[in-house]
Amino acid sequence: MAKKILVVDDDPNVVYYLVGLFHDNGYETCAAHNAPEAFDMLQKEKPDLITLDIDMPEVTGPQFYRKYTKMDDLKDIPVIIISGLAKPHLAVKKAVAVVEKPFDRDQLLKIVKDTIGE
Amino acid sequence: MADRILIVDDEEDIRVVLKISLSDLGYEVYTAENGEEALQIIEEVTPPIVLTDIRMPVMDGLELLRKIKQEDPETEVIMITGHGDMDLAIESLKHEATDFITKPIKDELLEIALKRANERITMRRQLREYTEHLEDLVREKSAKLVEAERLIAVGQVVEGLSSAMKNIVEDLESGLTYFNEMPCFVSIHNSNNEVVGTNQLYKERLGNKIGHGSWEIYASSAASQENCPVGKTFSTGKGQRRRERVKNLNGSELPVMVHTAPIRNRDGKVELVLEMAADLTEVSRLQEDLLTCQQRYQLLFDAAPCYFTVQDRDLKLMAANKKFLEDFGMQFGSFCSQAYSHDGEPHPECPVWKTFEEGESQQAETVVTAKSGEQYNVLIWTAPIKNVAGEVTHVMEMSTNITQIRQLQDHLSSLGLLIGSISHGIKGLLTGLDGGMYRLESGFEKEDQERIKEGWEIVRHMIGRIRNMSLDLLYYAKERDLQWERTDVLTFANDVALTVEPKALGHNIEFVRDFDASAGEFEVDAGVLASALTNILENALDACLEDNSKKAHKIIFGVSQDQDDIIFDVSDNGIGMDEETREKMFTLFYSSKGREGTGLGLFISNNIIEQHEGSVQVDSTPGEGSRFTVRMPKILPDEIKTLQKD
Repeated sequence: MAKKILVVDDDPNVVYYLVGLFHDNGYETCAAHNAPEAFDMLQKEKPDLITLDIDMPEVTGPQFYRKYTKMDDLKDIPVIIISGLAKPHLAVKKAVAVVEKPFDRDQLLKIVKDTIGE
Repeated sequence: MADRILIVDDEEDIRVVLKISLSDLGYEVYTAENGEEALQIIEEVTPPIVLTDIRMPVMDGLELLRKIKQEDPETEVIMITGHGDMDLAIESLKHEATDFITKPIKDELLEIALKRANERITMRRQLREYTEHLEDLVREKSAKLVEAERLIAVGQVVEGLSSAMKNIVEDLESGLTYFNEMPCFVSIHNSNNEVVGTNQLYKERLGNKIGHGSWEIYASSAASQENCPVGKTFSTGKGQRRRERVKNLNGSELPVMVHTAPIRNRDGKVELVLEMAADLTEVSRLQEDLLTCQQRYQLLFDAAPCYFTVQDRDLKLMAANKKFLEDFGMQFGSFCSQAYSHDGEPHPECPVWKTFEEGESQQAETVVTAKSGEQYNVLIWTAPIKNVAGEVTHVMEMSTNITQIRQLQDHLSSLGLLIGSISHGIKGLLTGLDGGMYRLESGFEKEDQERIKEGWEIVRHMIGRIRNMSLDLLYYAKERDLQWERTDVLTFANDVALTVEPKALGHNIEFVRDFDASAGEFEVDAGVLASALTNILENALDACLEDNSKKAHKIIFGVSQDQDDIIFDVSDNGIGMDEETREKMFTLFYSSKGREGTGLGLFISNNIIEQHEGSVQVDSTPGEGSRFTVRMPKILPDEIKTLQKD
């Protein structure tokens, strides 16, 4: 059964790109454009991996991360930070990886594969 | 010559003979037969001369002599001696007897003795007269000396008074040396209406009038004893104050203001009068000097490249300099907040108010709106103005227009800040572009026309956005010349609408195009104006998104024209703006959107429009919506075109 990735980013172009990329490489995907949406999606879809933007309106990526990692059934879902901020690795310490925009898609795919497999 | 004489002898014959002889000489003659009787008569009639025998019973002549000299040393005593009484005669001389004659008495010798006695008496009287006269003389001279000293003292008082007055005036007007030569003639007068003392200036200018009549200096009707100010003061007992004319030493007349003050003795009677006459020509010269000085200050006040105001506790304007009045045009008594922000509400951090509260100078920087509608960055300094009790009664505010400095600083700091604030956005755009390219590439790989088309759309869109952002950057990096060309208004407006409309519709916001189909063409740098209008439209969109009070939102994008201008209208029914936001929104880095805004958008838009010699007008009501009216000239002014050719 294909692994499922939740893409969270407020920029629809980025979401479109990531969803397309993961889909083409055989993953199932779901997407959210903000933190509340992402939280609903997380509980509904139970994804195997999350890619998370940091700088989002209202609720930021790190705030969303802290919220879902407090819940026992969700806290172990690994997260990859994908952000345009200058020092994104400081925001979520337990992230599997931190990828700066614009990213190298082969590198990103390798991180995904290393984390959850093909 | 003495008039009375006493003869003392125990022999009656001698007494009778002497009495006859002496009476013939013109004496009033008294006689006594012994010393005791003689002393009684002396006590009664005090004869200046006593003629006495030495040898007598009861009390002899020597004894009598001693007693007489003891009682009255000035009585002349002549002794009568017999032959062989030489020792006694000499003894009597030791006891201050005037002379002695021997029996039988020869008239010649008697007369000589009497003459000597009379000479002594006369000499003594003269001596006494001289002595007494000398005392009178001394008394007289001393009185003169006392008077002289008194006059000197009066003079000193007058000089002291005028110098004290000078000092007082100097203290009052410290730094104004004009008053050092206080033009005041000071004099003191006695009740005879005579000048008894004057100050130096009086003497120099009006002459030495000491001892003269008080009225003599006057040229006017006051030149009489009754009418002169001093005379009036004596007759009424009250100080006088009037304008008069006095005669100068050189014959010219001076207008003076005369004040007099009565000086009373212990009984309350006016003893002296102090007169002070101020030279009005001097006073008016000083007044002119003062006026010139004030004008110079006013000139400085007005010419200073700052706004000066003085405000009272109610923050009302009490004074303002010319520049303030020119740029803000306020009436005295109105409020500074009305002048500066037009809302009439005192600013919560008003530095003037803070100065009243804390009593210390304050500094602040803010943006104010001039009556022309222009925005100025001002640096405000305040200073408390305190009364004698140390309470702050007014505050002076000095505002320096630092708009140009700020603009320069904005420019310098903007590059760094701009890159920081939008690099995040650029990264997002590049990621989006990567996404488009990936779609395009995978479309080519899979020969999937749909993917290729999708990918290309994304790439095109991203490149468009990157282009706009680059244009923004260029606007900060350097003054960019307009790349103008004649452009069809409707085509332009439709292109602008297309950049915002999908986003609006995506949020269920109605987007209305209200275009005048006959708008024709205008001269414009279409690229930059498009980004300016897009910015305004996107703000309208944000204003609608933030507003939760209405069910339906609508943005109307209108295009109309009048004779010279094309008018773009953007109105929305979003949250609207308060006065402060409306006034500050075109300033750099002012944002009402918190961390979502960069504070750049409208600043750039405004610059772009102004570069075209266009204008923006904003109407807004909080809670109801906003309307931006952008007027763009159909034909660009020549100087802008010329500038471009250079």
